[in-house]
Amino acid sequence: MFEIEDQLKLVRKYLKLKIIEDDVKFRGHENERQHVYDLFMKSIEQGESHSALILGPRGCGKTTLINSVLHQVSNEVDMNNDVMIIKLNGLLHHDEKIALKSITAQMQLENVVGDRVFGTFAENLSFLLSCLMSGVDRKCRTMIFVLEEFDLFCHSGRTQTLLYNLFDITHNKQAPMCVLGLTNRLDVMELLEKRVKSRFSHRHIFIFPCESVLPLENLKNVFVQCLCLPVFKEKVKPKRSRKSRASSDSESDTESKYSISNQVFQKCHIDSRQFQDLDPVFTRSWNAHIHSLLDEEKVMDYFEKFSYYIINEQIFRNVLFQIVSKLSPKKPYIDPQDIITTIDKTVAPEHRVKLLQSLSILEFSLVIAMMHGLEIFDGQPMNFEMILNRYTKFANENSSTQSVPRPVILKAFEHLQSLEIILPVRTESGNDTTTHRVQKEYKLYTLAIPTDDIKEAVKGFKALPTEIQHWVNNSVV
Amino acid sequence: MEELYNIVPCRESQLNDLVELLGDNGETLPCSIFISGSLATGKTLCVNTVLDYLNLKYVLIDCIECYSAKIMFEEILRIQGDQGTKCDTLSDLINNLNRLSDKIKYDPIVLVFDRAERLRCMDHSIISAFLRLRELCCLNICTIFISQLVYDNFYFKMGVREPIQLYFPNYTKEELLKIILLKHDAFVYYLKHNYEIDSDINQELEKPELFANFLNAFLSVFYRPCRDLIELQHMAKVNFVKYCEPIIKKEINASDLSKLWRHIAPILKTSLELLYLRISTQNTTEISNDKENDIQPNCDFENTLQLLSTKTFAQSFELPYYAKFLLIAAYLASYNPPKEDKRLFMKNHGKQRKRLQQVRAKAKITEKLNTQLGPKVFNLDRLLAIFYAILEEKIGLTSNLLAQIATLVELKLIAGNKEVDLDSSKYKCIVGYDFISAVAQTVGFNVRKYLYDFI
Repeated sequence: MFEIEDQLKLVRKYLKLKIIEDDVKFRGHENERQHVYDLFMKSIEQGESHSALILGPRGCGKTTLINSVLHQVSNEVDMNNDVMIIKLNGLLHHDEKIALKSITAQMQLENVVGDRVFGTFAENLSFLLSCLMSGVDRKCRTMIFVLEEFDLFCHSGRTQTLLYNLFDITHNKQAPMCVLGLTNRLDVMELLEKRVKSRFSHRHIFIFPCESVLPLENLKNVFVQCLCLPVFKEKVKPKRSRKSRASSDSESDTESKYSISNQVFQKCHIDSRQFQDLDPVFTRSWNAHIHSLLDEEKVMDYFEKFSYYIINEQIFRNVLFQIVSKLSPKKPYIDPQDIITTIDKTVAPEHRVKLLQSLSILEFSLVIAMMHGLEIFDGQPMNFEMILNRYTKFANENSSTQSVPRPVILKAFEHLQSLEIILPVRTESGNDTTTHRVQKEYKLYTLAIPTDDIKEAVKGFKALPTEIQHWVNNSVV
Repeated sequence: MEELYNIVPCRESQLNDLVELLGDNGETLPCSIFISGSLATGKTLCVNTVLDYLNLKYVLIDCIECYSAKIMFEEILRIQGDQGTKCDTLSDLINNLNRLSDKIKYDPIVLVFDRAERLRCMDHSIISAFLRLRELCCLNICTIFISQLVYDNFYFKMGVREPIQLYFPNYTKEELLKIILLKHDAFVYYLKHNYEIDSDINQELEKPELFANFLNAFLSVFYRPCRDLIELQHMAKVNFVKYCEPIIKKEINASDLSKLWRHIAPILKTSLELLYLRISTQNTTEISNDKENDIQPNCDFENTLQLLSTKTFAQSFELPYYAKFLLIAAYLASYNPPKEDKRLFMKNHGKQRKRLQQVRAKAKITEKLNTQLGPKVFNLDRLLAIFYAILEEKIGLTSNLLAQIATLVELKLIAGNKEVDLDSSKYKCIVGYDFISAVAQTVGFNVRKYLYDFI
């Protein structure tokens, strides 16, 4: 019998790894996946050149798609000799020089390039390619360029040299090459220069989440996929009855789909064998537990709520991560209540309301004063003097409020500003001469928080004086 | 866990959340965590203690210190252990981190960005990249962002990988009481350090009940305008000394609570005016410097209070007679509309008065008052015209007089060019009403009478 504590630790470790690191397993979108796969295979086996864009909102699995296809391809062809994969990320390599450096590094040509100086970007790139060609049989390896955050490569203002050259090479016979861009901007074509656009194949692959499945079904799939454990048949103990062994064998076949692929383990330098200690009895009951959660009405309601707001799978994985991290020997199973609270927190965090509630009474009264002022003057920005005037009017009416000196109120006002509850109105830039600048008391501000949030904050405000509660709802004092 | 609760009091659920999220050793870390909460709610303290407790490898990056990307990257690379790695760009950083992965395999690494709101000032790709640092390099790495702003204030044009969000609420009044109570020793030590105390009273002062009583009274006054633990602690320190003074001088018995309350209530009220201003710090150091002086610190206290008020501040300027009038003239020029000058400053303007008043009665809205909208720009001609109008005697326009204007500009009482250019220079008075009325008082001039808003 295994200690429940050790089991849980393993479960937690395994699930966390699966939730966060598994970027190989791809679900759904069979057609799109096949499309990408065909492109790759055509480039590799027939030496064709291609370019394509994969578009889809954030967290819909663009990168996972590429990874899973590459994973499949790597099983079928000789990656080391035939293919060269170069991954660039718009966040890191939006500058041409850096991109080129990274390309050189990924091609492992740093030694060849050495201290050579190149005139233009194109020269440099074609030199790199020619280096590759001078292999044994003058046959070039297929290059696969994966450009993540493709929109960041299309910076306006500067020329899109990198994109131009990459797409240009796909058109001459120099080397078989496949350029794949990943982006979440649907209007990315507008960003391209004309000369870049004309060289692009205009092959768009759209990935929309929940295209074929309902969002709720999708969530359920992810939930089961991420939280179920694989059953390791090696651990089936001989002393168990034959019947159960037979059933476990058949089950392990079906449930091996929940396992993490070895590639992920390798990437993370984790020994996958440690998870074979997982007790099959425990894992099976765990899996049953996961499935039973899906039958709970309350949980399903919240899943539905979540799917109304968010379809980003990454965020759902964050939720799952938080749920899994709550597992402990004291609480070996997932509590439906945890799911509910976590989803609530993620969907409607209401941090702004909480922020308002964390203000001191003085600061909050200033916010209210400002809210009323904006209401009366149709949202015209206000300065400190106006707000102070409104506040003192209120404070004088209500004798119970302590009077606070002006400098302290000014400090409270500045605190509001640093919390960005109020934002300075931007004046025309440029005339920043001494006479155009104003004292901080006269700088104009607008309220950056909607009135509804303020009213919401009043409801939950602890120990808010009644007169202020009253003041919120009627501006006349 | 217990020891954690002792280090960071009143933050149990937050500590729990953090420990759970970061998990045991060897577990996968989350991609990124975003922690928000207002000033002094123990955000950084919690994160640091949890990271120490879990014995994780981490780097704390204060985004104020690391004002440029390069400095920040090099600071991050301190986890490598060796100093002085050159790192200019994000891709260099990722390369360096990836190199690290051979050495440390899958050991967890945490990067903590304190005051993360500063990251917004940098290139937007930096914070987006940090939010998905885990995808970019093959390490078990997690980024924690600590900020007093809520996540809504971070706006990303391109969308990012969303972090897990945690919120630290403010301490409640009870919690504040509990936390400051823990610092009892420090308060007593501070007291003993500054005063010579008889041994019998010493014991009285060390009683926690006395301190708790003081704190109750203190928070009842200060909790309303201030929720900042740091500031409250500071103010409590200053006021606790005052509270104990009559006990030390044996005027009030330590057990006579109502008398003590009557003693401290007015003091608390006056010191409320010093909240956040930290004027008294200077005063307290003075006390500790010369201990003989400790008989009348109360008197000192009054002094600082006086220094604080604008009135004495204005009087401490000691401007020349004409300069004062010039300043008043500048103030009037800034806060009166030019078309009303005639009515305000000329002897025979008579006729229009009645009709104007009627119009004004309708038009004057507090929010549209000049004194509320701020000073307007005026030129030298208008300033001099008003100056001669409010000055009874006749004096010539000498270079000395013009030099006074330059002096006022130099003193930052008037904004404008330092050189007096007779034709084109524009000015603006940048002192407040309190200040100007104090100045006017010294020369026996009533500013209110000449302000359009107040007629």
